[in-house]
Amino acid sequence: MQLNKRQLLIGSAALAMAGHVGGARAASAISYWHHFTSQSEMASLLKIIGLFQAANTDVAVTQENIPNSEYMAKVSSAVLAGGRPDTAMVIAERFADLTAMEGLIDLTDRVNGWAGKTNFPDNRWTGLSSNGAIYAVPAFAFVDWMYYRTDYFEEAGLAGPPKTFDEFLEACRKLTDPSKGRFAFGMRAGAGGFKYVIDVMEAFGSPIVKDGQPAIDRAAAIEAVTFYSDLFLKEKVVPPSAPNDSYRQIMEAFRTGQTAMLWHHTGSLNEISGAMKQGEQFSTAPMPAGPKAHIARVAYAGNGIMKEDNIEAAWQWVSFWGQTDAAVALLEGTGYFPASAAALQDQRITGNPIYGAAVKTLDFGRLPNNFIGAAGWSENVVNPAFQSVLTGQSTPEQAVDRMTQGLEAALR
Amino acid sequence: MTSSASRYLPFRALGELSETRYWMYLLLLPSLVLILLVIAYPTLYGMAISFREMRLTRPGLDGWVGFKHYAAMWSDPVFWIALKNTVVWVTAAVVLELALGLLTATALNRDLPGTKIFAVLILLPYFLPNVVAGHMWALMLDPRLGVINDILVRMGVLQSYKAWFADPNAALAATILVEAWHGFPFFALLLLAGLKSIPEDLYKAAAVDGAGVAAQLRLITLPMLKTVIAAAVILRVISLVNSPDLLLILTGGGPGDATQVLSLYAFQTAYKEFNFGYASALSVVMFVILMIFAVAYIRMSRITKE
Amino acid sequence: MIESKRHRRLIANIATYTVLVSLSAFCIGPMVWMFLTSLKYEADIVTQTMQYIPSRITFDNYVAIWTQSGFPLLIGNSLVVTLLTVTICVVTGTLAAYAFSRFAFRGRDRLMLGYLVVRMFPAVMVIIPLYVVMRGVGLVDSRFGLALAYTSFLLPLFVWMLKGFFDSAPRELESAARIDGSTRLGAMVRIVVPLARNGLVASSVFIAIAAWNEFLFALMLTTGQGSRTWPVGLQLMVGEFQLPWAFWPPAASSASSRSSFSSLSSNEPWFRG
Repeated sequence: MQLNKRQLLIGSAALAMAGHVGGARAASAISYWHHFTSQSEMASLLKIIGLFQAANTDVAVTQENIPNSEYMAKVSSAVLAGGRPDTAMVIAERFADLTAMEGLIDLTDRVNGWAGKTNFPDNRWTGLSSNGAIYAVPAFAFVDWMYYRTDYFEEAGLAGPPKTFDEFLEACRKLTDPSKGRFAFGMRAGAGGFKYVIDVMEAFGSPIVKDGQPAIDRAAAIEAVTFYSDLFLKEKVVPPSAPNDSYRQIMEAFRTGQTAMLWHHTGSLNEISGAMKQGEQFSTAPMPAGPKAHIARVAYAGNGIMKEDNIEAAWQWVSFWGQTDAAVALLEGTGYFPASAAALQDQRITGNPIYGAAVKTLDFGRLPNNFIGAAGWSENVVNPAFQSVLTGQSTPEQAVDRMTQGLEAALR
Repeated sequence: MTSSASRYLPFRALGELSETRYWMYLLLLPSLVLILLVIAYPTLYGMAISFREMRLTRPGLDGWVGFKHYAAMWSDPVFWIALKNTVVWVTAAVVLELALGLLTATALNRDLPGTKIFAVLILLPYFLPNVVAGHMWALMLDPRLGVINDILVRMGVLQSYKAWFADPNAALAATILVEAWHGFPFFALLLLAGLKSIPEDLYKAAAVDGAGVAAQLRLITLPMLKTVIAAAVILRVISLVNSPDLLLILTGGGPGDATQVLSLYAFQTAYKEFNFGYASALSVVMFVILMIFAVAYIRMSRITKE
Repeated sequence: MIESKRHRRLIANIATYTVLVSLSAFCIGPMVWMFLTSLKYEADIVTQTMQYIPSRITFDNYVAIWTQSGFPLLIGNSLVVTLLTVTICVVTGTLAAYAFSRFAFRGRDRLMLGYLVVRMFPAVMVIIPLYVVMRGVGLVDSRFGLALAYTSFLLPLFVWMLKGFFDSAPRELESAARIDGSTRLGAMVRIVVPLARNGLVASSVFIAIAAWNEFLFALMLTTGQGSRTWPVGLQLMVGEFQLPWAFWPPAASSASSRSSFSSLSSNEPWFRG
């Protein structure tokens, strides 16, 4: 399953050339914007383009990759100033903003007339719909779960992964040993850390937005922020670097053995498996349940159409991503979980116990918050507010008030 | 001396033109046209947005709102924190860079054997893009994999690895250090070029009069470099105030708002919240502050006078 | 007397070398470290114990950069854009800087400030309207369009820096040439510009670096491989989820070649008078 770097490079070069040859004969050419960057992602994308080109010789796809952090800047200026691509990748967190700025074209009729629709249960479409209209075809999913060090758990005499927040806290205390430089939990409070703050708030029973109105329950939210920040401040079961720890740092902490538990999603499985042994050193488990709710996100990502010019060809391309071939190619190359239920039956998933936690999570997991302005509020308000609790610059009460005010401003 | 020019008619015509009283305007014309053509409209348009409601995710909200964004800014605590941080960050970085740059330029200007090699080495950081410098230092200051922590622990300065960007004060100091590392060769390069144009005789004369190194610096070097220093400082201040990239990579404004500066705040408001109106108002305020600074500084250093 | 003078010079020399050595170490240390890191396997970087000298080395990062990103094309685009920017700036900017330095005319101070004002408004807010303008004249996604955009904010910088250098070039020679019958133009081209050549080179190098390394405009004003420059390609290589040493090979090679070029050439005559 694992190709080495060289094979990937040679393979992708060959496919890129194949793509060009196909392009020369193509009747229509479409552009595709995405934010795949890593070698495995790029190799999988080129493979999917190759498969697509083989099946649709009359359409040529030109892919353009855009750095993930600048993706929305680029897309929003294309919407505002002209220069849209034909098709583009859409992840759940950005869907609301993209439809709100009228960046995507309504695909409802096409989807309803599409044979592949039945491969996707209804909840796949909800995350990519707005006011009942469908704007993108799901392609893959990020399913939240927890990684944990089986060897550390054994050492600490813990029978299995924690199922509730209480058990989680208990495990945290047992797993932390500062003398060994070992901490129980790799908290992410740097870039992107807002996600878990929001999840813990919901797990303590505070909704975020209801019917388009701010709905943070102050008491529950304060309780949640207190619980979560105390892991760092009082319990000290989190590495001292947490306030600036982002994706790369939490991964490195886990890979170097500094931390014993890590919250993330299925997208990082390949990286972790590359560094340590499945089963012997680490395993996966569903996220622990909070006192009021069991929160784990299942975020579907898909592809949408941004302009009408080549809509037939564009539709062929975005719907191709929804087919099992494409999903399996992506799964093989990157480990990204398929969105299609048909692809979920693939034995690469059913036969691999490590995916058990994700399959279980599909039953109870929820979609990410999907209101307009969610991304901006999360990054620009929730993150700094929570960080300032960790650094002692403000109290959980102040942080929650700041989040509430920011949310009101975002929704106004 | 004019013989070569008179051979070609266009040159002679230009030469004659250069004797008219409009010559300086003609000299300025090409650059002015270029600047106005390319940038005047975008800048004015960018400023005008600050008086509009313009949120990409709310196409329904539109229209002129007067000073609404400015009023909102007045009661926005993050704005004030960012303003304070901007002042601290820019001042500390420029002072540090100027001092290091002057030191470097003076040392290089003595033209001792081997100086060329040192010049190449010292200029290197400036040639890296901000993005690269940022990622590089992020790795070196990393709380787990960072070599700086390892060295400090080995030397006994630190007990254990420190998470530099997790502590508000250390974070600001660390970003200033990185900026100084990246930016001081700019001053070194400019000041060295300036020093080279100061005639040796001045120093010789001063030495004969018994002036020491400090006196030479005060009486000759600094006055002669005045305009170069002033221009360098102004240009550096402008680019530091306006460019968020380094902080974006190192801290993203965190922890809390400890390293949040105005440019970063405007960038995040525009491209994360898509609130272009408010971002533009923030930019206009930055612009006004820079204008005030530039006018005051130019008056003080009398850079435009001869 | 002579004894003490020699003594003083010795101390000054030692101090000079101390400064140069320690500053070089400060500048180069991090880069050497990144170079070593770029030769390591990822498993040797993400470890509990720091490896100062790599125990085994790999050139995978270098191979990947070369094959994966279309690097030669990116560098070619960057070269073209930088060259265009510098050419436009040198031609138009030298004239303007000379005018500001040598002529007193009404509104000069204000005009100089006006040049600077262009740089003061944050690029973030200029990009979208600029994009609209560029699209209108069909310059989006062209290297010339990108160079024009760079010129608009690098030209003021160039003018300001160069003006400082012109100011410090002595006027006497120029006056002498004028007395010999040279026109203003002749005096400028043959006397003043050569005198300020160090400054001219320094200023040009400076804007060349800025154009070479610029990221935001390059990202927004180009689509596709045709005119994309290397910082954009680089950001793509690394993204936010990958480890940053993939940056190293191209960054280092381009930086070191340019640094040695500029500091070695800064004493060479640029324009022969």
